[in-house]
Amino acid sequence: MIENYAILPCNGLDKCAGAISRETAIKLCENAKNEIICPVFYRVAEAKYNKIAGEHPLLVIDGCQTRCASKLATEKNLKVSKKITITEEAKIHNIELKSNLRLLKNENALIEIILNGLNSAEEKAASSSDKTNASYNFEYETYQKDKFLFRVPKNPEIYFNENDCWAYVIGNRARIGVTDFVQQNLSDILYFTPPEIGAEIEQFGEVGEIESSKSVIDIISPVSGKVVSINETLIEKPELINENPYELGWIAELELTDFDSDKELLVGFDKYFEIMKKKLEDLNA
Amino acid sequence: MHKKVKVIPCSGIGKVYGLMAREAALKTVHELCPEKSETVCLAYIMTEDEAVRNKIEGFNCITVDGCPKMCASKNVSWIGGRVIDEMKVLDTVKEHKGKKFGSATTLDADGYVVVDEIADKIVKKIKDIIKEKL
Amino acid sequence: MDELKVGVISCSGEECLGGTISRLATRKVLEELSFVSTVTLCLPLYLAGGKEERDFAKVFPTIAVDGCDKLCAKRSTEKYSGKINGSVDVSKIIGNENALNTDTVLIKDLTEEHLQMVDKVASEIIKAISAINPDSYSGKTFGGCSCGS
Repeated sequence: MIENYAILPCNGLDKCAGAISRETAIKLCENAKNEIICPVFYRVAEAKYNKIAGEHPLLVIDGCQTRCASKLATEKNLKVSKKITITEEAKIHNIELKSNLRLLKNENALIEIILNGLNSAEEKAASSSDKTNASYNFEYETYQKDKFLFRVPKNPEIYFNENDCWAYVIGNRARIGVTDFVQQNLSDILYFTPPEIGAEIEQFGEVGEIESSKSVIDIISPVSGKVVSINETLIEKPELINENPYELGWIAELELTDFDSDKELLVGFDKYFEIMKKKLEDLNA
Repeated sequence: MHKKVKVIPCSGIGKVYGLMAREAALKTVHELCPEKSETVCLAYIMTEDEAVRNKIEGFNCITVDGCPKMCASKNVSWIGGRVIDEMKVLDTVKEHKGKKFGSATTLDADGYVVVDEIADKIVKKIKDIIKEKL
Repeated sequence: MDELKVGVISCSGEECLGGTISRLATRKVLEELSFVSTVTLCLPLYLAGGKEERDFAKVFPTIAVDGCDKLCAKRSTEKYSGKINGSVDVSKIIGNENALNTDTVLIKDLTEEHLQMVDKVASEIIKAISAINPDSYSGKTFGGCSCGS
């Protein structure tokens, strides 16, 4: 396991799932860099565990749907990086848990599955974050119209097209997405159709599709290039585009082919902010 | 003595999904599972009156939210309800691609199909809660 | 000059008929006035949302529409957002017994009689809005006698 977690398991003494939660946490700490937070002791002496929780990403392991460990984390105002619920994992992997508290064949099999799952998820995240996340930091200006708030990133590396799509250009790559103006107008986004990896996209060509209850729109690429990565999370959770169309809801990354020409037809923050405000006024007229 | 599971929908006055959340929750507590479940007004929860706090705090709750803002789940947790399950209307809506469901005021036939599916999911969850003796 | 928008916040009281009537009457008013002169917000967003939601009653003159005499929409708006400019209590319009009826709450079960209650409440909401912004009121009434009573 690559991450060094603070691990908060539940303490379920009346169910097998609680015993599995505990055993999973213990096995994770056989990697000496992970640290366990005892949920019972945490209620008595929080200073020690507050420090551990502050220094490491937090992994919460709940035994069942009561989610005692999650609730303790909420109570202590901790940010949860990852969550596992043992009864849900058992359901997903079709493992029947017995009603006694001993860890037998099924229970140990489930623990192995969970540990293997954690290891492979970490390896996948590490290899993709090497290629992507690195430098996309957004600074925003906001504009309020009635009860709606519109954020527009003002970084000089970000460019906008007339279709309210943005491109964050770093070196020979651009990460692209739609703006708050688009996601607010669409309302709840229900489906996302990504572009193909490897597809060659022209400037103002289509690079995916998003659909809400109100309408379907093609995403119009601000730049020309080859699609090298897509935001796969959006396939299951397209609502992330509503939640944050810049940091969580980015659409794809392109290797640029002709940005010097593309730039001539794009605008920066100052101009786009005014264009957006005018569009909002026109919508209400 | 077994206590009723609280099924609390969001208010979603602006969207059809809010109306679906409401109708699914009310169908559950009034028609499908009246002995084992009841609802509590989300608006009343916000007042923090002692009477509503006594109704929710520490009790098993299933929330039904119409959009990612998750108002029901957040407000019920805030006042101390044990949110055993957070139902999301959009999860079921996504299984009905291409259909129209009505408006935030009235539902079409397809809207009620989704309401019925969500209500069935809620009933299943109530039975799980009672079976697990949570 | 920007048109004055009036905010309308409704309870959606799931526990009784008054909440259903409150919700439907508010929706009717918003739809009739084409969302140009009115704006609404889901009440629970005062807590589940952010500052822009909590600023609602500071930004818009606001009418609270409540399904019963607990007055949750009025009290919550005053608690989390700001002073209200008008209040409509559905139980005073349709009677307490009707408002607190727990047998008929689902929209699919409403009868013609209930829909007339919705019209009556909608007319009262319109009156409250027009007291704040006379230009928003087109002289329309809902159901009943054409004189508006």
